[in-house]
Amino acid sequence: MLNLEETTKYIELASKSGGQAKIEGDTVFITIPPDRLVDVADTIFNKYNTSFRVCAGVDERPLNGHFSLVHLFTDDKAGLYVAVKTYLSGESPVAPSITSVVPAADWCEMEARDLLGIEFTGRETYRLVLPPWWPSNLYPLRKETPYNYRPEPRLESEKLGYSREYGVIPLGPYHPALHEPEYFELYVEGERVVDVKYRGFHVHRGVEKLAESRMSYQQVNFLAERICGICGFVHSTCYALAVEKAAKLDVPERAQFIRSIVLEVERIHSHLLLLGVAFHLLGYDAGFMHIWRIRERVMQLAELLTGSRKTYGINLVGGVRRDVNEEKKQKTLEALRELGREFKNFIEVAISVPQVKKRLTGSGVLPREEAVKLSVEGPVARASGVNKDARRDLPYAAYKYVSFKVPVYTEGDNLARVLVRVDEVFESISIIEQLLDKLPGGSILLTDFEIPEGRVGVQVVEAPRGGDIHYVVTGKGAPYRWRVRAPTYANIPALRVMLRDQPLADAPITIASIDPCFSCTDRVVVVRDGRIEEIKLTQLVK
Amino acid sequence: MSIKSSILKRSIWVFHLNTGSCNACDIEILDALTPFHDAERFGVKLVVSPRHADAMLLTGPVTAEALPKVINAIEAMPRPRMIIALGSCGCGGGIWHDTYSTIGGVNKLLEILKERGIVVDAVYYVPGCPIRPEALLYAVALIKGIVSKKREMKIYKAE
Repeated sequence: MLNLEETTKYIELASKSGGQAKIEGDTVFITIPPDRLVDVADTIFNKYNTSFRVCAGVDERPLNGHFSLVHLFTDDKAGLYVAVKTYLSGESPVAPSITSVVPAADWCEMEARDLLGIEFTGRETYRLVLPPWWPSNLYPLRKETPYNYRPEPRLESEKLGYSREYGVIPLGPYHPALHEPEYFELYVEGERVVDVKYRGFHVHRGVEKLAESRMSYQQVNFLAERICGICGFVHSTCYALAVEKAAKLDVPERAQFIRSIVLEVERIHSHLLLLGVAFHLLGYDAGFMHIWRIRERVMQLAELLTGSRKTYGINLVGGVRRDVNEEKKQKTLEALRELGREFKNFIEVAISVPQVKKRLTGSGVLPREEAVKLSVEGPVARASGVNKDARRDLPYAAYKYVSFKVPVYTEGDNLARVLVRVDEVFESISIIEQLLDKLPGGSILLTDFEIPEGRVGVQVVEAPRGGDIHYVVTGKGAPYRWRVRAPTYANIPALRVMLRDQPLADAPITIASIDPCFSCTDRVVVVRDGRIEEIKLTQLVK
Repeated sequence: MSIKSSILKRSIWVFHLNTGSCNACDIEILDALTPFHDAERFGVKLVVSPRHADAMLLTGPVTAEALPKVINAIEAMPRPRMIIALGSCGCGGGIWHDTYSTIGGVNKLLEILKERGIVVDAVYYVPGCPIRPEALLYAVALIKGIVSKKREMKIYKAE
């Protein structure tokens, strides 16, 4: 299946850089010395036109006395995963930064610095994930740190930025339109946004450490689902697929079909949710209410298929826990027909409402070059003319059995991002119908298997917001290292480009248009009256 | 519940406070307010500011990063103030009850609030992971005295 020519260039690159490469399944593992990392990353990202997904730091000191840093790329044209690994010193890990050649690596390097204490050379460093008062010598993801060690919290938060030239407008951290604590700082000149600063990670709950220390392989499925309440099933599927890939398990076809069906149900509910919120932010509340009325049908459909409205809990390593029988199949098809009809009728009206159309057109533009450079994901990328979709490029679960279109728009504005999602809802309905039609027989769960230690699995699953990537190193009874990267992680840096030179009034809808998934999830923050003096962030909650 | 004010028999205005939840409870809150479940028929309204709120819909296990902001938001509420703790995380920290970056649900938060002299008049717990919109409606009906409690609290101790 794999194109041999495509893999040889990676093997040659590895041997040229003084490292080794091996191929397992659809993943190329390259190990190189740290001093060649920047060159190799430059070649893979800029010359081979791959997309950068994430980097993961691993504390391998109990195994071999080293830290390691893995940069994950995907070659979407060849359907290949590329994992570039470097070993760092066990005492004082220092790695060269690749942000000069791959700007998208900015956050994940800072996360490795916060959580594992890996220092990076050749870039500016700052605290990203942990609170500002967190002890600087306490690294939660190092193996010797217990997962439940809590330093005494200090009740202080960062100061608001100060600028002599520009007004500073804080967005967040709490507001009813915003369902998560996130904080944006907009620098404005009159009505025009000139810069934006983001302070997130209020929802850092220590998922990865928890999975590595307190859980077993099967329990992590349920933990993964609780990473995000909106696209949780994506995470549990992605984790299960990554472990299955690492352990080389042959999962029953029927289970893969059911996974794909539920993934698409989740996609429809997520897109409808976003459309509703977008209309709400544009002041079109009738649209918000109508969309959520239509969405209720999807929630009931999810309950029918999985037994739960949200957080379905049907994934296990090796298959799924709930089957789809003939009765459910008929009811699902009927519900989808109704849903498609209602949604079609309504969205035609909603998109042609003059105020909606006018506000969406031409605002929050993300040009194609920037989208490529920042490796943005999902509908944000597809609205900027980047034709990538993991369901088609790196097929997983049962997507290779269905045909569907990947909507791509080239405008890169808010309207394009909305239209991509509208088209995807119809595609998802068609995908579910095809999958139900082709649903094979057989069992749904693989029992009696073993997961060997020390294997690595990398998996991308196309979440409603873009590619979600999980990197699993197997261990004894539980993952040794589990790295999760949600799509919003890649999309938020693009907001800086979208918001710049925009009118302030368009900021909320632009932030909403990437469908931010902060936990990983949800939506938006709101503009409050700005003050130029320095004020404490906590005072803003008034 | 110890809350005496008859004011709360009327419309309850709520402020939604996400303290680091996964959003499943949060979208179910919105779902409860939209046409199918329509909590607004009980007078429930989502308000813009904690200063307008009678009750705080608290979701999530209260992360260390969000803690100072959560305390400020609760302090900004007028008396009598109620907290409706939603979901497994809100009630007791859920799956994250002892991880390094959370404080573990509403009970730990209440201790911290007590230390700082911030009074919370009543706390209601709505369990579920995530909560169902119906459960939230039941909590609202309970506060308003439309329905009665199904269970009395019992404390069991390991011998």
